[in-house]
Amino acid sequence: MRPLQFERLYQAEWDELETLLAGLQANSARKHRAAVQAERFAALYRRACDHLALARARAYPAYLIERLEHLTADAHQVIYRRRELGWARLKTLAAVDFPCAVRAHAPYVWIALAVFAVPTLVFGALVYVRQELILAVVDPATVADFERMYSSAADSLGRTRTADTDWQMFGYYIRNNIGVAFQCFASGLFAGVGSLFFLAFNGALGGAVAGYLTDRGLAPTFYSFVVTHAAFELTAIVLAGAAGLRIGHALLAPGRQTRALALVVAARESIVIVYGVTVMLLVAAAIEAFWSSSARIAPPVKYGVAAVCWTAMLGYLTLQGRRAG
Amino acid sequence: MLQLRPAGLASRFCAFSLDLLIRLSLLYAVAIAAVVMGGIGVAIWFILIFALEWLYPVIFELTQSGATPGKRAMGLKVVMDSGLPITPAASLTRNLLRAADFLPLIYGFGVVSVLVRRDFKRLGDLAAATLVVYRLQPASRVAFGDVEPLEPAMSIAPRDQAALIALAARAPRLTDDRLDELAALAAPISGDTGQSGPEVTLRVLAVAHWLLGRS
Repeated sequence: MRPLQFERLYQAEWDELETLLAGLQANSARKHRAAVQAERFAALYRRACDHLALARARAYPAYLIERLEHLTADAHQVIYRRRELGWARLKTLAAVDFPCAVRAHAPYVWIALAVFAVPTLVFGALVYVRQELILAVVDPATVADFERMYSSAADSLGRTRTADTDWQMFGYYIRNNIGVAFQCFASGLFAGVGSLFFLAFNGALGGAVAGYLTDRGLAPTFYSFVVTHAAFELTAIVLAGAAGLRIGHALLAPGRQTRALALVVAARESIVIVYGVTVMLLVAAAIEAFWSSSARIAPPVKYGVAAVCWTAMLGYLTLQGRRAG
Repeated sequence: MLQLRPAGLASRFCAFSLDLLIRLSLLYAVAIAAVVMGGIGVAIWFILIFALEWLYPVIFELTQSGATPGKRAMGLKVVMDSGLPITPAASLTRNLLRAADFLPLIYGFGVVSVLVRRDFKRLGDLAAATLVVYRLQPASRVAFGDVEPLEPAMSIAPRDQAALIALAARAPRLTDDRLDELAALAAPISGDTGQSGPEVTLRVLAVAHWLLGRS
């Protein structure tokens, strides 16, 4: 068959496919009408693929092949587009996928927890015993800042804070804390070393500050401030580190897969944890900015709420979705 | 079957610079507004920094075009290795791992990875199984001039037929001298072996039109 004959013969089908395609790519009203013709669309797509193969095999003119390439490529994109964003998907993520992913990564979570908790305790104890050691982790100005923040003086945390500052801190916590968690995850790509470093560093920093403030007799303000949002924030950092460790481990020990494939699989499975971590840190930022810092709420109330939060968080991670998963 | 053309460092750098420009101007615009709004303004500003840093590419990659404005301007888009539209999980993965590509200095690892690999993937693309490719350009419609078709003087192999038709399609874009030169190579098909000149060219093109199926 000559090229022009070929074109004349199938032109109508290609035009029809193009029209349907335009409908599917455009706004939703037309999308609905086009969706009704899904069967026709699929049939035309398969025909166009046939025609492309024929045109290539018969070395038809470039413009003809090019047109068919465009047509099939665009239809391919529409047909195989995956819709993963929707309420149903978010619901299964929260109810099943995230807690199950955390449990599936249990060894990594335990290692991450150890790498985070051991420096926290060691630095906490060290600084509590020898106060000046705090300068090993932070500079003097920051130490002074911390002390002023948690002191019972009039300008301390919560006492003079207005709704304005609460909002300001909310934004700051989102940018800072979620950024740290993402970094903790991403740096796992370097054989896990980056995740280990960020976990240990944040642990040491937190431990040193806690030890220092306890020694200075500011424990009541400090612990009642951090205890509630820590349920979400500390857990989230540990989980982000665990996800990073998973990626690093896949690169170091890919098992029977190629390194590249092991990395892809590890990333696909551990990114589910990062979804959850992000939400947990949003919650933590809101609590830290609007609840933890409020001086109107008595410390016993804060400890009570914190106990509920910790129980809920750990219960959620260990029990939620067991039946479905 | 599906053909993808991975985009190299230069075009991706341009796309990134454009995006950076867009992000910075957005940040400045909001900073001015934030000063007036007080605490909530500062909150919005911080959240915007966070969103522009981590989520800006994700949001745009999940739209129909599969590209940030910078990439779209450079004619690029992000797809899965299979050529399918990028999934939300893959988009988030490649953009979070940007932090690893960025190390040790301004995209050090990312640039090395793109330069070393044949498919121009940075580390984030490796983990997410994604590719940055050139978008297909709109198909060009070729206008063949008005020539009376002529039956060939000999049988022509399919490959040579394709070459002749391609020559006819390119004819309007070639200089006359170059067209004559090329047509002289194909002169045997119109029975003009060893000859050249405008008349031979015309006859060679006429054969090409006959091959196309024009009557």
